Amino acid sequence: MNSNTAAAPMIGPRDRESFFEAQRRNRRATWRLSVVSALATVVMGIPLALTITPLLYAAALIIADIVSIWIPLPPSFWQRANELARYGMAAIGWLGQSKAANPQALALGAAVLLLPGAILSVGLWLGVNALFRRAGVGGALLALKAREPNQSELKELQLADVVQEMAIAAGLPAPKIMLIDAPAANAAVIGTSPNDARIVVSRGMLEQLNRDELEGALAHLVASIGNGDLRIAFRVTSVFETCGILVAIVNAPFGRRSRGTLWRIVRYGLFEKKGSEASAQEAAAMAALLTRSAGLDTDDIDDVFDTTAKRKSIFRSIRNFLLFPFFFTNMAIKLSLWFFSFSMLEPSMALLWRKRKYLADACAVQLTRNPDGLAEALRKLNSDRGPIPGGEWAAHLFLVNPAGSDRMSDPKANAAQQQIWAQMWAASEASKTDNPSPPAPADLPSVMKEITATGSAAMAGDASATARMMAFRKAAADALGKPVDEMPNLADIAAAQHGDAAALRRLREFSEKNTTHSAASDSQETADSSSNFAGFFPSLKRRLKRLDRMGAHVELESDGGKTWIVIFALSVLLGPFGLLAVALLLLLIAIMVMSSLAFLAIWMAFIHELFVAFLHH
Amino acid sequence: MSAPSLIVVGLIAAVLLIWFIAVFNSLVALRVRVQNAWADIDVQLKRRHDLVPNLVGAVQGYLAHERSTLEAVTEARTKAVASSSETVAHRAQAESALSGALSNLFAVAEQYPQLRAVESVQLLQEQLTSTENRIAFARQFYNDEVMKFNTAQATFPRNLFAGVFGFSPTAMFVAPDAERANVQIKA
Repeated sequence: MNSNTAAAPMIGPRDRESFFEAQRRNRRATWRLSVVSALATVVMGIPLALTITPLLYAAALIIADIVSIWIPLPPSFWQRANELARYGMAAIGWLGQSKAANPQALALGAAVLLLPGAILSVGLWLGVNALFRRAGVGGALLALKAREPNQSELKELQLADVVQEMAIAAGLPAPKIMLIDAPAANAAVIGTSPNDARIVVSRGMLEQLNRDELEGALAHLVASIGNGDLRIAFRVTSVFETCGILVAIVNAPFGRRSRGTLWRIVRYGLFEKKGSEASAQEAAAMAALLTRSAGLDTDDIDDVFDTTAKRKSIFRSIRNFLLFPFFFTNMAIKLSLWFFSFSMLEPSMALLWRKRKYLADACAVQLTRNPDGLAEALRKLNSDRGPIPGGEWAAHLFLVNPAGSDRMSDPKANAAQQQIWAQMWAASEASKTDNPSPPAPADLPSVMKEITATGSAAMAGDASATARMMAFRKAAADALGKPVDEMPNLADIAAAQHGDAAALRRLREFSEKNTTHSAASDSQETADSSSNFAGFFPSLKRRLKRLDRMGAHVELESDGGKTWIVIFALSVLLGPFGLLAVALLLLLIAIMVMSSLAFLAIWMAFIHELFVAFLHH
Repeated sequence: MSAPSLIVVGLIAAVLLIWFIAVFNSLVALRVRVQNAWADIDVQLKRRHDLVPNLVGAVQGYLAHERSTLEAVTEARTKAVASSSETVAHRAQAESALSGALSNLFAVAEQYPQLRAVESVQLLQEQLTSTENRIAFARQFYNDEVMKFNTAQATFPRNLFAGVFGFSPTAMFVAPDAERANVQIKA
């Protein structure tokens, strides 16, 4: 079909695969995995529903009790309530295997125990869907500080052209393109559906890739839009966001932070006007908040049941008593959310998402008929990745994982930093000996060692070393474009080492002024939330291997199956322990759910009796 | 015939009818996609026709000694524009002549470093490169769609009635001989 691929020599038997076959295979896998994901969600929903349902009954009971202070409800109402409770107790008794029950009563009991919670969860999920669908992509784009490409700049015109070409190749309307001025090389599709899809490309990627590679990368993104990945991504994140809302709700009695989150969501849902810039930003902030709060954090609870608190008022005791059963509810929900999402939901959804990436890769090969372009692009992007400020919560939408390599530990960035240091070092030497010599990049480590050695010698009081450091200080001041006085001086460094507070403060001020202010806080945030999406990306090696099968010329170093042996040995050794841990955790969750049920039942009975005894006539 | 068997027969007939309608509609949809893909090629060809005068105007000043090359491009463009109402074969020939003239022009322009440095020329060249690519990708998409359409018609059981309802295999877009000769395969 294509003269290029036909001309490539085939050496020996290789397991080739046409991109159509690869697409079919990955589509089938997607289908299977989405069934698995749905099942995982349902399984996770069972303990959740079991825990939430009694909460709803408790709320209903209190409302009924309050209403009957003024308007006594008919006795038949209380009879019904009793019947419901009996069905529920029968089901619990069967679970505890203390009693036999007939199937019909069992089904009714299960419905009594599960349905209200399940309906609430599904309702929340629908609400989250509606909320974020309405919010659209504006907030994400604002958070990324995305801008329109400048058509009179060659590279950016090329980008716009390549997107158009790929859209034509795919027979799709061309998606809008936005640029982010980030040095990390990456690109993403952002949106809730093909209609509002935006391709977001970092400026760093434009600098790194040539036209063929750009074509491959963008073909992947365009194909991803065409395959409907945005809808899948939207569903996946909405499940996690629903978990976040659930956690916020069960935390609400205990913590101000969770109440704040909930209030923000309610306010957004009710009052925010569509399309305004502020509302878009708010939506993105909420999404970030919810995906993060799905974790197992108990700060709010610790604040409430803080036994070391100095203030011990009667009000606090009453409140703690009233809230006590909810502590178990809270822990049951958080534990089961954490356990099931960690062990089932996240893995199945991550696998599903990986298949979508492979599928988009295969489709990209179909569009460009040039697997080498995409392979080379992936290789380059992987070596040049880094956090994209503002894109943390949408990390899974990127072409390669934006997290994972810290900017500072990135050898390339480090090398650049050392280069600057070496240059300043050489410059300071030149100013002393009048013999300028350019720094050789090869012996950067030795230069760095020299700087440190001279520095410590100067600290120890060596006069020539001190003079050398002073010259270096002047060169550094020149390089940074600052007066020499503002640079930290040796006396300060020496004093700081001996614990002089004022000197330490001066040094800290200096380093704060000179480190890029945003970088520190941004990378902090990335480290927090990006771990959620680590498993959502197939490894570079596997992607390249699949592209190689479709005809790319990549050199793959084979590890001879050693990793498999290691994994096998590890799983044999640790498997029993892992299973034991899982069993213990399941037991713990069951205990938590049961105690939440029991305590809530007692609590409900107690409160109801209070009402009957004192307030009802 | 008893009532239950009547119901069964009716159900089978209904299922068959629904299946038949679905197949027919999918064939129609495929045919429309093929037509659409064909129209897309047209759009891209038109885009190239519009770009060529700009390019010629931009480089004219630098390529005073290469008048024949420039004239060849202008002439090829005029012919290509004129051929847009003629037969497909005719048209393909005129368009590939334009492609040839343009690649010739680019080859000549490579010898003028000061021309390559001009930003507006770079932008124009990028646009033209993109247009060539777009034409190629539009053809590729057309061929993919034709393949799907033809496969759908030729496979059992659709092959039994596709012809009856006026569906016929569509021809793929094959590069004319003149264009194929231009492709230089690097070893």
